[in-house]
Amino acid sequence: MAMGGTTEMTIGLAHYLTVSAILLVLGIFGIFLNRKNVIVILMSVELILLSVNLNFVAFSSWLNDLNGQVFAMFVLTVAAAEAAIGLAIVVIYFRNRGSIEVEDISTLKG
Amino acid sequence: MIAALAFYLFAAILIASAVMVVTARNPVHSVLFLILAFFNAAALFLIAGAEFLAMTLVIVYVGAVAVLFLFVVMMLDIDFARLREGFQRYAPVGAVIGGILFLELLLVVGSWSFADQAEDLRLAPITGDVTNAQALGRVIYTDYVYLFQTAGLILLVAMIGAIVLTHRQRPGTRRQNIAAQVNRSGSVLLEKVPSGAGIATLGIRRPPEPEAEKPKVTHEAGHGHGGHH
Amino acid sequence: MSWTLALPELVLACSGLVLLLAGVIPKQETFFPITMGAIGALLVTAVLVLGQGEGTALGGHYVADAFSGFMKILALGAAALGLLLSIDFNEKEGLGRFEFPVLVLFASLGAMVMISANDLMALYLGLELLSLPLYVIAAFNRDNARSSEAGLKYFVLGALASGLLLYGTTLVYGFAGTTNFDRLADAFSAAQGVSAGVIVGVVFVIAGLAFKVSAVPFHMWTPDVYEGAPTPVTAYFASAPKVAAIALLTRVLLGPFGDLAAQWQQVILLISFGSMILGSFAAIGQINLKRLMAYSSIGHVGYALMGLAVGSDTGLRGLLFYMAIYVFMNVGAFAVLVAMRRQGRAVEQVEDLAGLARTDLGMALWMAAFMFSMAGIPPLAGFFSKLYVFLAAVQGGFWTLAVVGVLTSVVSAYYYLRVVKVMFFDQPAGALDRAPASLTIVMAGTGLFTLLFGLFPAPLLAAAQAAAAALLG
Repeated sequence: MAMGGTTEMTIGLAHYLTVSAILLVLGIFGIFLNRKNVIVILMSVELILLSVNLNFVAFSSWLNDLNGQVFAMFVLTVAAAEAAIGLAIVVIYFRNRGSIEVEDISTLKG
Repeated sequence: MIAALAFYLFAAILIASAVMVVTARNPVHSVLFLILAFFNAAALFLIAGAEFLAMTLVIVYVGAVAVLFLFVVMMLDIDFARLREGFQRYAPVGAVIGGILFLELLLVVGSWSFADQAEDLRLAPITGDVTNAQALGRVIYTDYVYLFQTAGLILLVAMIGAIVLTHRQRPGTRRQNIAAQVNRSGSVLLEKVPSGAGIATLGIRRPPEPEAEKPKVTHEAGHGHGGHH
Repeated sequence: MSWTLALPELVLACSGLVLLLAGVIPKQETFFPITMGAIGALLVTAVLVLGQGEGTALGGHYVADAFSGFMKILALGAAALGLLLSIDFNEKEGLGRFEFPVLVLFASLGAMVMISANDLMALYLGLELLSLPLYVIAAFNRDNARSSEAGLKYFVLGALASGLLLYGTTLVYGFAGTTNFDRLADAFSAAQGVSAGVIVGVVFVIAGLAFKVSAVPFHMWTPDVYEGAPTPVTAYFASAPKVAAIALLTRVLLGPFGDLAAQWQQVILLISFGSMILGSFAAIGQINLKRLMAYSSIGHVGYALMGLAVGSDTGLRGLLFYMAIYVFMNVGAFAVLVAMRRQGRAVEQVEDLAGLARTDLGMALWMAAFMFSMAGIPPLAGFFSKLYVFLAAVQGGFWTLAVVGVLTSVVSAYYYLRVVKVMFFDQPAGALDRAPASLTIVMAGTGLFTLLFGLFPAPLLAAAQAAAAALLG
């Protein structure tokens, strides 16, 4: 469906959007798959943000509008900040529990 | 033609490495594949004409974020084999959910349409007479200054947060006292030494210890003669 | 570009930086003075908000109107009260570090950016400026496994939610070619049938914001995080961020997406139903007061969103009115929770309140007032807040919504009244420590508001009316 629109060998918007959708799905899939491994979950979140950036850049390019690129730049900034905080929390969690498993939430459940 | 081939190549590597990120057995490999994914995404940005963002992606992600991940993966002594338990169990459910989501998104992007007046509504149309970095620089500090400052505060908050969570002052650790170092005076001297002469023969004494070091010296004296002179 | 319109934000940001410096430079611990300074800065900002003009500024990213003023004052007040609660608790728990008030202050700045957002970019950056400090203060008790686990859970789910929200904004941007709210409204008002992409985008945005207000399909994190985080942090979580996220949700849905109401109204209706039902039934079995309050807050969000689902002028007024009263009675109830200590150790089970009326009658009476008010018993403030949203639902023809609201109120009254019963009729489990003065002041202030609100409802109603009118134009 997505690829069908372009018969000539130029890259269509749908190509970019499809790649980005695949990345988004892989990111969500990764969170499901690695429910115990927080670090891989954080990397999956980075994949989701990458797919967002790819979308912004593609739209920006097709609309000929810089706004999307500026947004993507802010997303990059925030993603870096988020990674720093996330890893800091992972580190203190590991110090307390000696593991990074999220699923054995035996202390918090009810 | 070449651009299209490049697109398919980079997109294929990007997706393959993204798959490896979420399925790799070893998280170190996950991080390395994440780096590969970022490089290929940067190439896709280049093809779409976002040069500045492509470079930023490489610098910020590969240079900072991925290295941070690598650092944490290696710093924490984690039993990764145990973390993969349940991997098989979740895979089918995750694949079904992911597949459904992907099909829906395909339907959405396959029939993409812009609003009629999207062209008039644009906030910062690309004029094409300046380079990408120049065009970004023109708007970021003017039209987007409010958001730019907010992004700066977000980085500040991240810094405060990371420090407040992980920084510990253990009683035994020694810290660099920059002020004392800078204020050191009279303890450093320059002497002309003829070649071949030893310090002892010239009678040059060791400079006096700085003030702050005094208690340490007496402490060492208590241990008998130190062997590190 | 009239940057002076954003004076309250600028003042708050600068005072945050000054307080950060003032906290770092001295050699000794500066928690108490910095906290007082932060409370002062929040109050000064609130006064500036009161005197703020109206209009858009800063490249169209910032908007100030009666709605933003109302919500900002609520968010700032909730933050100041939250800090007041933290003074004694943090010192006793060894969390008395000056970074705490600074982080709360920056989170409040994020809340203000969210409330004043007139652009999807400002929405996202404000949301993150609010969320990042929240992740940190949830894990602030870093040597406690439960606190760090709360931080981790909140972070992972919060990052996922903001990722989905962002994906939604890309689709909206891709359709309309703009992120500015006014221009988006133009793009959607030209009725030519929006594409499926925009609908998916709007749903993703709603999902991301629903996570922040802990409305039902996205509520899973709430009980765990509320229980694990330090109690004053929980008090803050349950008030200011909710106000900001509700404000943002309202502005986004009624402003740029106003013409898509047919699409999002069903979603909000379902979220409201789900939150009310889950909030009332899941709380019944809880023995931990913080978990109980978590489910209670989910339920209250459901009632408040009822006003948004109705979408009318009266519905919006009800929503604003509800949030204002909710913030005060919620902070009051949390003041009691923060004060609960036995022999210096913090306790948080319902049974720890047993016989409180005999050991500390004052605290028991305030708690009873908050519980009755949350249950919606007539002369108290909580009754009026529920009354106005139910009235709006009936007037808008949403009979099922109103009926479900009344029924879930009755169910939730059961667990609120159980707390009162434990305090007044059970055997004392041993006296609680005396509450410090700061907590007693908060309890008395919010308690008097809850008790006496029925006598003077007019000013708040008028303010809510004006704010609603500003948004609906």
